[in-house]
Amino acid sequence: MLGLSARSISNILFWATRKKWLILSFLLSLSSFYLPSPEGLDSSGHRILIIVAVTLILIVSESIPLPAVAMLILIMQVILGIDTPDGVASSFMSDSVFFIMGSLMLAVAIVSQGLDKRLALFVINLTGNKTWRIATGFLAISAILSSFIGEHTVGAMMLPVALALIKNAGVGIRKATNLSTLLLFSIAYGCAIGSIGTPSGGGRNVIMIGYLAEFGMAKISYLEWMKYAYPMLLLEIPITSAVLWFTFTPSQKVMDSSVRKLKVQVAKNGKMTLDQLLAIIIFIAVFLGWVFLSPYIGLGIVALCGVFLYLSFGLVEWKQINENTNWAVILLFGAAISLGIQMKETGAALWVADQILSYLQIFFQDIGIVRWFTSVVITGLLTNLLSSAATVAVLGPIVLDMGGDPIITGLMTSIASAFAYLTVVASPTCMIIHSTGLITSSDYLKAGWKLFIISVVLLFLISHFYWPIIS
Amino acid sequence: MKILIAISSKEYSEPTLDVGMKISRELNASTTILDVGEKINEFSMKDVDLANEIIESWNIGRPGMDVLEWAYFYLIENDFIDSNAVEESFSKKILHQKSSNRAEIHLEGLTLERLNLILRNGDIIDELRDEVKTYNYDLMIIGGSGKRSMAHDFIQYIESSIFIVNNFNPDKNYRILLAVDDSPGTSKAVKYGVRVSQAFGITVDLILVSKSGEYNEDSTFALERAKKMMRRCGIKTEVFLKVGDPVLNIVEAAGEDHIIIMGASTQSPLAKFFMGSKPLNVIGKSNCPVLIVK
Repeated sequence: MLGLSARSISNILFWATRKKWLILSFLLSLSSFYLPSPEGLDSSGHRILIIVAVTLILIVSESIPLPAVAMLILIMQVILGIDTPDGVASSFMSDSVFFIMGSLMLAVAIVSQGLDKRLALFVINLTGNKTWRIATGFLAISAILSSFIGEHTVGAMMLPVALALIKNAGVGIRKATNLSTLLLFSIAYGCAIGSIGTPSGGGRNVIMIGYLAEFGMAKISYLEWMKYAYPMLLLEIPITSAVLWFTFTPSQKVMDSSVRKLKVQVAKNGKMTLDQLLAIIIFIAVFLGWVFLSPYIGLGIVALCGVFLYLSFGLVEWKQINENTNWAVILLFGAAISLGIQMKETGAALWVADQILSYLQIFFQDIGIVRWFTSVVITGLLTNLLSSAATVAVLGPIVLDMGGDPIITGLMTSIASAFAYLTVVASPTCMIIHSTGLITSSDYLKAGWKLFIISVVLLFLISHFYWPIIS
Repeated sequence: MKILIAISSKEYSEPTLDVGMKISRELNASTTILDVGEKINEFSMKDVDLANEIIESWNIGRPGMDVLEWAYFYLIENDFIDSNAVEESFSKKILHQKSSNRAEIHLEGLTLERLNLILRNGDIIDELRDEVKTYNYDLMIIGGSGKRSMAHDFIQYIESSIFIVNNFNPDKNYRILLAVDDSPGTSKAVKYGVRVSQAFGITVDLILVSKSGEYNEDSTFALERAKKMMRRCGIKTEVFLKVGDPVLNIVEAAGEDHIIIMGASTQSPLAKFFMGSKPLNVIGKSNCPVLIVK
């Protein structure tokens, strides 16, 4: 055929089957480009929605590398004539992207200090040796730490503690038991519920704050955010802990010997070094910067100050940061935010918001309920398919265009994007515990659906009864 | 000769490893044992790497390494490796990351020139295809459990010969069922049949199936050549001539006590992709190990 050898045809077939979603999205964008723009949407809005559709397909199907998706977003914006090259470039970089970059680098700097063993000792001293206390302790500490440091750091530092305990308990490290499932989910779900607590808990919170400021809708400070979100976090800790315990009740109720072995293992580590102390002090300074300075200089710049200090004090080498920072994520989120801003500017976000409102009002009369349903349920579901930050970047402008109090809507969307309970790809921590081979994809559904519903209901109650009191 | 043995866990991979190592030993092949771990999505890749680094510093062992560790000790216990040359412990710091998704195990003080242990992460078809293509294996050996849906992709995209160790029982006395037809793949299959038969000292049944009841010249010629070859090598053979659907007849004749050996289909890749092929259907329906020779 066409003079090609059987081997080349086989290679082409392999490529085509592996890249079917890429091919499909290309055909889809080409055909929808020639469709007339729907009523109420001008041609640039129409085109930006094509880019959104292509982006979503390519991220979910993982058919091309993420940086390639990021570049495609930027290229298409220019080629489809939505913005000038300089315009696209300036919407690509923002304080939110600085924050995402800074916090990923801070994670590397903190993780490389060897504080994990110290953290292990702290956790174990706090919880004792009863299994339920250990699981709850894992969950609570993961939640509280990740609300400040970000979940990827906490997940990476807590995982070995759990694995060491599981291994010491004499359970094969490859064989999943209720004990291993319980402990690992306590970390993953702890990190998820923690990430809502403060703006620095996750990149998506900062993206939302960035949108609110960029669109001139509202300003929300670090402490204000905590005032809204932290009570929800604190309520979720005992609830999640109970749900996990009753879903994965382990046969070992006490982990006496494995805790003892862990203590011996950790005790070899000796006293805290000066470097470790300095690392903690710098992080506390960064936290204080977020609280007090971010209204003036931005969350992202504060995070970069932290990275600057870690590098200048020689606490971490650039090589380490360079190798362990996920540049793909930074590029993608930059591009996604730029896409979000264009959605707002071209009116595409408003058009989609109107469509959703008019369809959903067939089912719910109350516009408040519709708004709530979109910002909470749709965000929650999408976050389990995409990543949470990508979800907020794309959905943020749409929900903010639905009207209502922007702070309430923005917060609800950000918080719902943390309901990453249902799939492996929902969050980095979910992936980290899955990579151990102890958690299968179906395990996520066992407790995940209960937590998803409980969290949605809890958020409803908090946003209806608590937030009106404080705002 | 280079052989790749793909394993996944100690629960399911023992027969694969056992028969794979026996074949490698008898054919005096250089062997790679490979475990393909979970696919890590790009959003989380660096976070998982970071977690793995800490896990290694705790001396817990990276996920997936325990499978290779199990395989290694299995080989020692069953005398596939000389136990005098073996290190006592399987230190966790012997993993050398060669690229983002491929790591090699290096055991110090032990010469394992002809045995490699490899850990890869990613989609199983992508990883196996890449491994076979990059390192030029002649034969890939893989378990049959749960892999049936992947058989199509293996046959279609992996360039080496493939041995699917389906329902294998090490205590059973297997015979070889060599499927002969007029396709060019047959002569290669016959050569493999001879090697395997001689290596294990087992007898060969030759099967030729005709749809119509008439055997064309090319296929009878192929059969005669196969018989001659077996005779020359001193292998006892029996011949079965059948009429009807080739796949059903081969599967029925094989039962559970044969190892089926057949040539890969020489149809164009497009035809195979859309319409399937004889080897693929045999794998789908049979209840015994199958070797597809490419």
